[in-house]
Amino acid sequence: MRAHSVTEPLGASMARAHFDAPREFGVPLFRSLIDKLNEDRRWVILDLGAARPQTVELLSRFRCRLEIADLADTVTASGVGAGDPVRFTDLSEALHANPGNEPVDIAFCWDFLNYLIPEQMTELIKGIAARCRPDAFVHALIAYSDPLMPQWPGQFMPVDDGRLLNLSTAEPQCLAPHYSPEDLTSWMPGVTIERVRLLTNGMQEYLFRLSDVVGASGFSRGH
Amino acid sequence: MFDLNKKGPAAPTQQRTNTGGGQDSNANTQTASRDSQTGEMAVIGRSIKIEGDVRGEEDLRIEGDVTGSIHLPNNSLTIGKDGRIKADAYAKSVVVDGEVSGDLYGAECVTIRANANVECNVVAARVSLEEGARFKGSIDMDPERVKKSLSKKLGSRERASDSGGKPRSTPASALNSRAAEPGAAQRTASAKSSKAEPAH
Repeated sequence: MRAHSVTEPLGASMARAHFDAPREFGVPLFRSLIDKLNEDRRWVILDLGAARPQTVELLSRFRCRLEIADLADTVTASGVGAGDPVRFTDLSEALHANPGNEPVDIAFCWDFLNYLIPEQMTELIKGIAARCRPDAFVHALIAYSDPLMPQWPGQFMPVDDGRLLNLSTAEPQCLAPHYSPEDLTSWMPGVTIERVRLLTNGMQEYLFRLSDVVGASGFSRGH
Repeated sequence: MFDLNKKGPAAPTQQRTNTGGGQDSNANTQTASRDSQTGEMAVIGRSIKIEGDVRGEEDLRIEGDVTGSIHLPNNSLTIGKDGRIKADAYAKSVVVDGEVSGDLYGAECVTIRANANVECNVVAARVSLEEGARFKGSIDMDPERVKKSLSKKLGSRERASDSGGKPRSTPASALNSRAAEPGAAQRTASAKSSKAEPAH
């Protein structure tokens, strides 16, 4: 995780934190993904965040298999903390802990990238790509306008098919990295940016496309 | 040891749900009531450990440890807050309040409560997940795939049953009737504990 942003291992307090002032914001690219789900086919969706009733409820309207990785919990359990990129490979491996036998079409990676150093980001995207079909989508939120962000990855849940609710605690906060599109694509080789939108909450909404992620193996490599 | 003649209260019928497929959230309540017409269910107590295949024709509440498989095609399965299963479980409806590692198949619904700690794959016509539940794994909500998976699961179980079933099978109803016979339960399943729990 980012050395400047994490002063202690992500604790259980993250999962059971006291949330104040949840903020709701529109996510047009997320809506476009949800619109795609109306196509008459089966979709496999990988949520890197924690299981949320609202996510289950939203996706239950479609022909979906939802896979929940809960990476933040894995971080907590593995004791990965500040400046520990080596052990982060454990995290990407955790993506394979309970794999289905179908490639993933869409991955939700809300807010997590803000807390990663470049090497970790590269490892994570390799892990995601190995679970995905070629040309899969990755939906992410990147800190942009605000100079500060919560010290731990935020918890988001869909309010409906076009809005997310940010459950992050207001304090403590740390400096936001403000990763640029160039940063992201250079640290995640093989990932292309499909669309970007600036959101009302000061974050940028990214829709990435996995084209040819270097070092990935798995479904995207013909398995 | 086993005292499966003991009966616990029926599964709570009040459930906070987020049902899939546009179903009315009252559906679970109705199901639970219908399945528990007698107001009773078999209980595997806190100190009981079972390794093997549990199957039966009555509602079952697990507060102990079960490793293997559970098959209650016409009844409800409740994994209570002290219950831990490492098993593939198939039931008409499943409510999880404890720990689960394995696959859960619910012909009607699977409800994962706030205190549950679950690492499994869920296949069910309707899935309800309460806020606060710890869940890792997958939830299949594709009606076509769910139907196929459930019928496949039921079919393979019925074939196994027709051919005599698995050698370590532990029918819950049979355990009930055998419990009066001293030592019967020990012979029936790989029970590892010797103390029966009061019904919860």
